[in-house]
Amino acid sequence: MIYSNWLSKLQSFVLVTSSLVIFVLSDVPRPRGVSLSKASLYSPSKDFTCFDGTNTIPFSYVNDDYCDCFDGSDEPGTSACLNSVFHCTNAGHRPQNIPSSRVNDGICDCCDGTDEYAAPNTCSNTCDELGREARAQAQQLAELHKAGNSLRLELIEKGNIKRSEMGEQLSQLEKDKIEALKIKEEKEALKSDIEAKENEALKVYREAEEKEKERKAELEKEELLKEATEQFNKYDSDNDGLLSVNEIRVVNVFDKNKDGEVDQEEIQYFFGDSENVDKDTFVSSVWSLLKPLLMMEEGMFRPEQDDQEEHDEELPHEEEQHEQDQEGEEETEDNEQHDLNIDDQINDQAKTYDDETKRLMDEASEARRLYNDAERAVREIESNIRTIQQNLEKDYGLNQEYATMDGECLEHEDKEYVYRLCLFDRVTQKSRNGGGEVGLGNWGEWGGDGDNKYSIMKYTNGVTCWNGPARMTTVHITCGLETKLTSVTEPYRCEYKIDLTSPAACDDSHFIQQQQKKESHDEL
Amino acid sequence: MKTLTLLLVAAFSINNCICVDRNNFKTCDQSGFCKRLRPLKPEKSQYTLNLDSVFVHGNVLSAEVITVNNNGEKKNVEWHYALRLSALVDGTFRVEIDEAEPLYPRYRSMVALDGEPKGDILKLISNENGKLTLKNSQGHKVIITAEPLKFEFLDKNGEPAVVLNDNAQLFVEPLKVRNGDGEETDIEGSLAENFKSHHDSKPRGNEAVSIDVAFPDADQAYGIPEHTDGFHLKTTTSGEPYRLYNLDVFEYELDSRMAIYGSIPVMYAHGPKRSVGVFWHNSAETWIDVVNYGEGNVVSSLVNLVTGGQKRRVDARFMSESGVVDIFVLMGDAPSDVYRQYSTLTGVTPLPPKFSLAYHQSRWNYVDEADVRSVDEGFDSHDIPLDVIWLDIEYTDNRKYFTWHPIKFAHPAEMVGNLTAKGRKMVVIIDPHIKREAGYFFHEDCTEQGLYIKNKDGNDYEGWCWPGSSSYPDFHNPAAFKYFAERYRFENFPGTNKDVHIWNDMNEPSVFNGPEITMPKDNRHYKPSQDGQDGLASFWEHRHIHNEYGVWHIMATHQGMLDRSNGQYRPFILSRAVYSGTQRYAAVWTGDNMAEWGFLLASISMCLSLASAGVSFCGSDVGGFFKYPEAELMTRWYQAAAFQPFMRAHSHIETKRREPWLYDATTTSRLRDAVRRRYALLDLWYTLFYEHTLDRVPVMRPLLTHYPKEEQTYTIDDTYLLGDKLLIRPVVEPGVSSVKVYLPGRDSHTVWYDVDSFQRHEANGYFTQEVTISKIPVYQRGGSIIPRKERVRRSSALMEDDPYTLVVTLDINNTATGTLYIDDGETYDFKSNKFIYAKITYEQTAMKYIITNSGNYPTRSWLERIVIAGIKSPPKSAKLIQDGKSTALQMTIHRGNDVLVVRKPAALMAKAWEIQFSY
Repeated sequence: MIYSNWLSKLQSFVLVTSSLVIFVLSDVPRPRGVSLSKASLYSPSKDFTCFDGTNTIPFSYVNDDYCDCFDGSDEPGTSACLNSVFHCTNAGHRPQNIPSSRVNDGICDCCDGTDEYAAPNTCSNTCDELGREARAQAQQLAELHKAGNSLRLELIEKGNIKRSEMGEQLSQLEKDKIEALKIKEEKEALKSDIEAKENEALKVYREAEEKEKERKAELEKEELLKEATEQFNKYDSDNDGLLSVNEIRVVNVFDKNKDGEVDQEEIQYFFGDSENVDKDTFVSSVWSLLKPLLMMEEGMFRPEQDDQEEHDEELPHEEEQHEQDQEGEEETEDNEQHDLNIDDQINDQAKTYDDETKRLMDEASEARRLYNDAERAVREIESNIRTIQQNLEKDYGLNQEYATMDGECLEHEDKEYVYRLCLFDRVTQKSRNGGGEVGLGNWGEWGGDGDNKYSIMKYTNGVTCWNGPARMTTVHITCGLETKLTSVTEPYRCEYKIDLTSPAACDDSHFIQQQQKKESHDEL
Repeated sequence: MKTLTLLLVAAFSINNCICVDRNNFKTCDQSGFCKRLRPLKPEKSQYTLNLDSVFVHGNVLSAEVITVNNNGEKKNVEWHYALRLSALVDGTFRVEIDEAEPLYPRYRSMVALDGEPKGDILKLISNENGKLTLKNSQGHKVIITAEPLKFEFLDKNGEPAVVLNDNAQLFVEPLKVRNGDGEETDIEGSLAENFKSHHDSKPRGNEAVSIDVAFPDADQAYGIPEHTDGFHLKTTTSGEPYRLYNLDVFEYELDSRMAIYGSIPVMYAHGPKRSVGVFWHNSAETWIDVVNYGEGNVVSSLVNLVTGGQKRRVDARFMSESGVVDIFVLMGDAPSDVYRQYSTLTGVTPLPPKFSLAYHQSRWNYVDEADVRSVDEGFDSHDIPLDVIWLDIEYTDNRKYFTWHPIKFAHPAEMVGNLTAKGRKMVVIIDPHIKREAGYFFHEDCTEQGLYIKNKDGNDYEGWCWPGSSSYPDFHNPAAFKYFAERYRFENFPGTNKDVHIWNDMNEPSVFNGPEITMPKDNRHYKPSQDGQDGLASFWEHRHIHNEYGVWHIMATHQGMLDRSNGQYRPFILSRAVYSGTQRYAAVWTGDNMAEWGFLLASISMCLSLASAGVSFCGSDVGGFFKYPEAELMTRWYQAAAFQPFMRAHSHIETKRREPWLYDATTTSRLRDAVRRRYALLDLWYTLFYEHTLDRVPVMRPLLTHYPKEEQTYTIDDTYLLGDKLLIRPVVEPGVSSVKVYLPGRDSHTVWYDVDSFQRHEANGYFTQEVTISKIPVYQRGGSIIPRKERVRRSSALMEDDPYTLVVTLDINNTATGTLYIDDGETYDFKSNKFIYAKITYEQTAMKYIITNSGNYPTRSWLERIVIAGIKSPPKSAKLIQDGKSTALQMTIHRGNDVLVVRKPAALMAKAWEIQFSY
C-alpha cells in the first residue's frame, strides 16, 4: 500500500512551521496547479483543511512538495500526492487537468509548460500555436458539418419517402397475399381430387412391388445365413457347434489390430463376456462385426497406411483435428453412397403401367405442379412482407437518415485484404491473394454511448475464430461529405474496427452543442 | 466401417484435454542410458584407487583408478581411469574421473563455470589402512577409501556431510572402438537408438557416466530445476527419476518430474545440522534418482539396509548420457554458504538495468505499430506505470530475425522513439532458428560460411520451427558466434537503439519435427581441430552439449549487445532455456504456463528453485500464457508478481486481450495498485540485486535461508523472503478471506510488521491472516529499513530524481539497519565507482545514513519522509544534521499502531546525514 493510503486511516496531530507557497501569476491569485473554479478553496489567510476534511494544516504546507492530505488536495501543484490533479491554464489553448505524477517528470504535458516548473527551460510554451491549430480544425469541422448537414437533410427526406413507399408496398402485398391464398386453395382442391384417383389406380402396382421386395429380403437373409454358417463351420475346428475362445485365437481375421495375436480385448470385442458362442449367436451378432474385417482381409477395404509417426510430430493440433474430421466425413459419404446404390437397384426395376393409369398420373402431376406454383407465390409474397416488415422495424437513425443506405455496399482495400461493408447487412473480408470470403459480422445494433448512439454500428456473430470468439465489427461513423470507408483495422483479435464517413453523421446543431459542452468542461 | 474408424482413432491418439502430450517425451525406459544404468545396483563398487599412484600437488590430488573384474581367482584390470580431486576456495571440492586414455576426448561443459575455479590448499594428512585423509584450509576433510572407492567429505566437526559412491553407482562407460563387423552388440542400444520415428546413430556408442551421492543428516533435498513438482525433492523409487534435458514442452503439466525448458544440475541437502550441496558439471541429458529416508513412503527395510535405521538422510544418483564424472562438493554449512559456493563457481546475475526490474507488458503479438502505440497510451490514460513493451515473433518480416515486417512495423525507429520519449523501452524477440529462405542475408551468410549446426552426415541440419524450414547457428564455432553477435550492431539491425533489448526464446533448442521437439542427438557441432581433423575426434555431438546450447545463444546476444554500445550500456536479455551459467547473461521465465491457480502457485516454487540454483532473475507469465484469467486470478497474479523478480504480463495469440484496463474498472484499479506497489519498491529490488553481486545469495529466498534450524520451513514453498527483509505469502487460492502464514524466527524473537497496516506480529510459526481481494500478506522484518519511492510515475526512468521514503521497522532492541544502492540505472559507470552504496542505521538516539563506498553518484533525490514502526516511546524532537547544518524536523505520531512519521527531512541522498532524536 502506498503510504498516503494508510495515512488517512489514522488519527494524527501536527506540529507547525512556515514555508513558502508559490502562486501562479494570473488574474486571480491561486496556488500552482489550481483551476479558477477551485481558487476560492485556497485562502492564504487561514489554515487549509483537506477537501475530505481529514486534516487541517497551516497554509504554508500547501504546495510545499509534501503530501499531508489523503485526497491530495494540499498539493495541487507538485507531484507529492499520488492521487492529486494538476491544472494547467494553457492560455491561448484549452486548459487541461493532468495527474500530479506528471509534474516535474521531465516530460512536457501542458502546452504552457507549467507542469515542468522545476526545470524552467525544459518546455517552451506552445499554447498559441496549438490553440490556433485547434481553432482552425474546429472551424473546419464546423464547416464540414454545415456542408454535410444539407446532404443529411436530403438523406432524411429520401429516407422518409422510402419508408412511406415501403408502407405502401406492404399494404399492396397484404392484398396480393389474400388473392394468392385463394388461388392456392383452389389448386389444392383440384390436386387432391385427381390424386385420389391416381392412388386408386396405382394400388395394384404397389402391392406387386411389396411382394418382390419381401422375396429379395428373404433371399438375402438366406445368403447371409449360408455365408455365416460356412465361416462358423470353418472356425469351429472341433465341430462341437460352439465357437470357443481357443478356436478363434488362431484365426488371423480376429486379430483386429494386426499385432499378430488375438488378445483379450479383441476376444471381448467379438464374444462379449462369454467363453464361446453357438451358431445362432454367431450369425446374429458376431458375423456383423467380423464381416468387414474379412472383407478388408480380402482386399475389399484398404485402410490408408498413413505414416502415423510423422503426424504425431507435427505440432499444431489443429491439423490433426482436421485430419480426424476429414476421415469422419469421408466415412459418412461412403455410407451414403452405399445406401443410394440400394435405392437405385429397386428403382431400376422398370415398371410398366396401362394407358389409363398413365393418363391419371400425368394429370395428377400437372395438378401438383399448379398447386406448387400457387404455394410458391404465397411464400414469395409472405417473404416480401417479412422483409419489408423487418426493414420497417430497423432503426435507421434518429430521423431515418440511414434508411436509403440499407443494402448499400462499400469496399476498402489494404495491402492484404479487401473489406466489404454492406450496411445493415454484413461485413466480409477477402484476401487479395484469393481464397473465400470470411464473415466479420452481421448487422446487430447501434452501439454508441448515450447521446451518440448513432455514431457506432455493431455487426456481430461473424465466423468464429479458431479457438476463439466469433468475429465482430464496429463501424465508427463520422461526418463526411461522402459515404465511404476510410480505414479498417483489427485492434483486438477477431474484433474489427471500420471508420466510415457519411453526411448522415453531419449534424451542425448537435456538433455546436457538443463543442460548447467540451469547452465548458475544460474550464473546470 | 466402424472397425476401420476405431483403428484410425487409435493411431492418431488425440488428446482432448489441455495437457502435455507425454508421448512426445521419453521416459527413463525409453532413454537408452537411463534404462541401462538405473537398475545397476552392484553390492560393491568395481572401482578401486591405486594407492601407489597417488600424487598430491598444490590443491590437487591425482591418482589412477581401475575397474577390476573379479571373475575367477585372478583379478583382471578391466579399465584405467584418471582421478583428480581438487580443493577449491570457499569450502568447495571437485572430483573428476575420466578415462586414463580415452579413444578421443570426452566432452566437458564449456559455459557453466565462470572461469577456472580458484584453488585452495589440499594437504594429505594420512595414508593408512587403504584410506587417504586430506584436509583443506578451512578444516574440511576428505577420506578416500581405496577399495571399493569411496569419498567421504567431513564437515568442520569431523562428521560426514557428503559421501560419493557409497551406493556403488559410480560408472564411466569407456569409449570402445567400433569395427562395424556387427559383433559389438553385447550392450543393449550401443549401436543406435530409436524413439518414435527418430533414429539416433550413436556414432560413439555408449558413453554414459553416473555417480551416487549420500547426504547424511539431511531432512530435505532441493534444487535441480527446472521441474514443476514443488521446491523440495521427492523420493523417485516408485516413479520416474527427475530429468534434466532442455525441452520445449507444449502445455507442460504441474507436479511432474518431466524435463522442461531448463536444467541446472545443482542439488542442495539441508537439515538442522548443516546445508551442503553438489554440482554435477555435465551438459548432456541427465536423470536423477532421489531417496529421502525421512519420507513416510520409503520402506523401512530399505531405510535399515542403507542407513541403519537413520531416517535423516537423502541419497541421490546422477546419470548422464555422456561426458566425464565431474562433481563439485559444496561444504556449506549454512544455506547462504552453499548458494555462495555454487555462485562462486558459475557466476552471479550481474546488476541488471533498472528498467528491467519494473513492469513489462507483452503479448504474442502486438500486431502493428498502431497497436503498440495504443497499448503505450492505454497505460498512460489509465495511469498505470509501464517500462517495457515487448514484441513477439510477428514483428519480423515473415519470421526472419533481425528484420521488421515491412507493412506492420515499417517505422521501427519512430515506434521506439515514441516509447523512449516517456522513459520506456522495447524488447524484441530473436530466436535461434534461422529461416531457410533464399535471399535472407542471415541464411545465405551462414550457408556460405558454414556456420550452421550439421546433421550426422555433415550437411547443414534442417529442422521445422516457426519460420518453417530452419537451421540453427553453431555457436561453438567462433565464426558463428561472432556473426550472430554482430547482427545486433545498430547498423545491422536498423530501427534498434540502446533502448531495444532482447528476448531469446525457443533456445532449448525447439525443433518442431525433431525427437522430443528438439535437435537429433547425433547432430554435429564445431570442435577446434586440436584433436584431429577426421572422424569422431573432429566434432562434438549435440548430445554432449544439448543443455548448454541456450547459454551459448544468450552469450552471443550478450556479447552483441555489449559491442553495439561499445560496452557502455547493460544489456537485458530474457531466455527460456536455462542451464548453469545462464544467470551471468539473462533473466529467465517459467515458459508457456497456463491461466490456472495451480500455475500461479507453481510460479513461486519454480522461481525459488531456480533462485537457489543461481538464477535470481526469474518470473512467470503474469496471468498465464494459455487460456484466459478471470478477474480474481488476474488480480492475484499481479499482486504476486509485484513481489517476484521479473514481472511481465504475457499471453498467447489465440487468447482474449487482457491489458489491465480491459477488465472491469474495479479490477483495473486493483491491477494498477499492484503495479504501483512494484514501482514504489523498485529501489529495494535494485539494492537487492546489487547485493546479490556481492554476497551471491539469491534475491528471492526460501525461508530456510535465514531460519535454517526451523524444520517447519524446510518444505514451505508458497512463502519466501526478499533479501532478509520482506516475507511474502501471495494469495494463490480463489475466494479466500484468510490464509495461513508462517512467520519464522521465534527463537531469535523476530517480529514482523504487516506492510499495509504496520501491525506487529511476533514470530510464532503459523497464524491466520485475514485478506481481502486487495490484500496479500507481506511483512517487513523488525530490525530492517526499506527504501521506497512513493511518487509513482509513468516509467521508472521518470522517477530517477524523486525523493525517498525510508520505512524503519524496529526489532526488540529498538534498532534497525538497511541499505540503499543508487546509480544511473543503465550504464557500467558503477564499475568506476560512480554509485552510492549507503548503510542506514537506526538507534533510539540517532538515525544515520553512511555512504560506504569511496565513489559517489550525483543523485538529486532527497529524503521525503521517514516512517518508523513499532516505536513505543516517541522522541520529543528531532533534528537533521547534514553538511554541518542542523535543521529542526517535525514529526507525527500515530497512536494505535505506534508509527512515527518524520516529515520532510529534505536531506540530500548524495551525501551522508544524521538525524538526532531527543526524549
